[in-house]
Amino acid sequence: MVVTWRAAALMGLGVVPVLLLPANGTVLVWATVVVVACVVDIVLAASPRRVAVQRLVPASVRLRSEATSELVVRNASGRRLRAVVRDAWGPSAGAGPGRGRSERVRPAPGGAGRHLVNLPDGEAARLPTTLVPTRRGDRTAGGVTIRSLGPLGLAGRQVTLPVPGRLRVLPEFASRKHLPSRLARLREMDGRAAVQIRGEGTEFDSLREYVVGDDVRSIDWRATARRREVVVRTWRPERDRRVLIVLDTGRTSAARVGAADSTGAPRLDASIEAALLLAALAGHAGDRVELVAFDRTVRSRVVGAAGPRLMPAMAESLATVDPVLLETDWPGVVTQVRTRMTQRALVVLLTTLDPAAVENGLLPVVDQLARDHTVVVASVADEEVAGLRAGRETVAEVYDAAAAARGDLERTAVTTMLRRYGADVVEALPDDLAPRLADEYLALKAAGRL
Amino acid sequence: MTAQPPAAPAPPAPTPPAAVSVAAGPIDEPPVIVGDDTTGRTRAASTWRRMRWPFLVFVVIALFVLFLAVVRPPTSADPYAPDNPEPGGGMAVAEVLKDQGVRVTHVTSVADAVAAAGPGSTLLVTPNPAFFADDQISSLNRTGADLVVLQPDFGLVAGVSRNTVDSTYGVAEGPVEPQCDDPAARAAGAVSLAPGLYDTSTGSDAVRPVLCWPDGSGNFAYARLDFPNRSVTMVNDPGVLRNGSVLEDGNAALALWMLGQNEDLVWLVPNPMDVSTGDDQPTPAERGQVNELMPPGSAPVALVAVLAAVLLALWRVRRMGPLVVEDLPILVRSAEATRGRARLYRAARARGHAAAGLRASAADRIASRLGLARSSDANTVVDAVVAATNRPSQQVADLLYGPPPADDAALAELARRLDILESEVHRP
Repeated sequence: MVVTWRAAALMGLGVVPVLLLPANGTVLVWATVVVVACVVDIVLAASPRRVAVQRLVPASVRLRSEATSELVVRNASGRRLRAVVRDAWGPSAGAGPGRGRSERVRPAPGGAGRHLVNLPDGEAARLPTTLVPTRRGDRTAGGVTIRSLGPLGLAGRQVTLPVPGRLRVLPEFASRKHLPSRLARLREMDGRAAVQIRGEGTEFDSLREYVVGDDVRSIDWRATARRREVVVRTWRPERDRRVLIVLDTGRTSAARVGAADSTGAPRLDASIEAALLLAALAGHAGDRVELVAFDRTVRSRVVGAAGPRLMPAMAESLATVDPVLLETDWPGVVTQVRTRMTQRALVVLLTTLDPAAVENGLLPVVDQLARDHTVVVASVADEEVAGLRAGRETVAEVYDAAAAARGDLERTAVTTMLRRYGADVVEALPDDLAPRLADEYLALKAAGRL
Repeated sequence: MTAQPPAAPAPPAPTPPAAVSVAAGPIDEPPVIVGDDTTGRTRAASTWRRMRWPFLVFVVIALFVLFLAVVRPPTSADPYAPDNPEPGGGMAVAEVLKDQGVRVTHVTSVADAVAAAGPGSTLLVTPNPAFFADDQISSLNRTGADLVVLQPDFGLVAGVSRNTVDSTYGVAEGPVEPQCDDPAARAAGAVSLAPGLYDTSTGSDAVRPVLCWPDGSGNFAYARLDFPNRSVTMVNDPGVLRNGSVLEDGNAALALWMLGQNEDLVWLVPNPMDVSTGDDQPTPAERGQVNELMPPGSAPVALVAVLAAVLLALWRVRRMGPLVVEDLPILVRSAEATRGRARLYRAARARGHAAAGLRASAADRIASRLGLARSSDANTVVDAVVAATNRPSQQVADLLYGPPPADDAALAELARRLDILESEVHRP
């Protein structure tokens, strides 16, 4: 049972008869009239329990891009359906106002995902709602609420139907803008660029005839001796190397980084961006990419996806990874790497260079990893700390700067330790981490260290 | 925009119960939902299941309150009130008088007392926490009723006795005999009431007070004036009426004698906020008739407005479906650790630590810019900086490795000078 503002207005109109006949009895009669009108309206309203509702939602959408949740409402009540229909979504699904613009469907005032519906019996309509999700993961829809009003619009009936709906919000992959330039570098290294330069790399590719400009050091004297012309060896970057991306989803990945005046985003989001760019690049370079999201147990894993199947698998698998407030189990990470990688591989640890956490967690085990594999530790720096470091205005800011400087020193010490154990370290602000990690990968590839 | 939903079910039969019908579409086809699998009966049953315990608790509480109201007579906690059974109340005397056939009327304002009292009745005025106004006292005098005043203040003594009695402060010192010719006093015998009333009448006064129970210095506990049509009795000690002390000595006899003389007793327990006199025409507001001040018909209009407001509230209070729940994200800023450390430094005035951090960080950056190893010692760094900046060696050493700053201003100055030094260093 619901009443609308019209019922209150009708009651208010009772002032006129009461002024003409000022007595309490008049009020009673008028109130009875209003109640009877509301009851009649409720009885005449179309039953919202005889409306068939179906929710059509795309399976997945990228973070901050637009998706449409569509309700298909079919009036099987035997009466004209005058109703407000709400397509309920959680706040971070970013539902906008209703988008229908016809004589049967209009946006309703007063909230996201609300539609005014006027449907004759037996007909159906589509009610589109725009969703712009602001948070990664599975966004689950609420019920569909139908408030069916009577012909007078005074009162009506309301029901919330349990219509299922789920939208998987994939990572934004904003770092894909860095992909074309890195792919160009990769092609140059591969020797396939329009500008023909000698392919860098360490893997023997083929023999060909010497042309002026070739490096004389690459002349293959043994082959030259067998033939009459000078022959050079060509090299290409290694292919089919293995890349394992380990995403740390422990407690340090939950901390938010970003400018001081914004809510920021979790470190994990920047790590995911970097992982996606690296996976796209390594996939194009012909390497086999695997991913493990780990804190004390495996949260997500991508294994054996290659070619066009790699990036969808990565996005799908990273969509639902959330930070967990637990200390990461680094010996467990080592076990994971050992079981996954039997031969030499590039192991990228996307984690945080938090001195205390690293000293107790990563540092004791990193040499075990670096012995068998090429290890890169990538960490997200905080813009806000960088701002604190430069503060000199007040005494409090100077203390902030001193604390930030102390933190830097400790981080530098940890970085030095990691390098001494044979791991490469990449530390960058959230937006820079993905391209920096991609460059590191290209550098390793060019140097033949994969 | 009309569209046929894919795999829409046949319209359900118009007879209840409406049930959830899920169309078995192809794989990945979202289900079509009709109704929420309830009928009027199941909804009523679930409402009853949800509400029965709160309802039961409410009923039990209501029954308990009703039981208390029926079983316990209405009492109050006002001092000297005839319905107050506590030691400070007057219920004992009032109940005895009622049993003897005296009609006790409990009032709390002078206007009500003036309206209720008249010739042939007794008007009891219990102690006033505040003071009576002069016009209130004259109103009390004009009722024609016999007046009994307990513990009167100066103004009330003077007013009701026509300036023939005055009061002062006294302390009871054990039971004394009345030592006067007054029937009530003779009936009561020895009492220990605080004295404090004394005779100020002169020969020109028509009525002179009878004073009883003196102390050694001429103050009395009891005074009585017999005017032609009425009497005025004053008792300096209200203990004569209190439940807690009415049984001591002759208190009960005195109280019953004073208050039981007439069939009607008006029992005034003054309210300090009361300013009524009962004289003039009371205002409509005083009579509780606000309506007379309002334009005609305003009450029904107000009723209409209230009903409309109730409907507005019902309109606004109904949600458009339940809230959709969602896990909250973790909101911890990464910089909080740094800020917390800075506050610890500041709270502990750890200027030495803060300065050491700034210096080491600056030295680290300068060393890497000059191409020095991280393990270089202080002298190497200072020499390199001196070579790069042409500053005096002592000054550079002081800046980078000097003593901790003495106060916060020195710390800020050190940070500023380190910045300048760093900006001057370039790769040689």
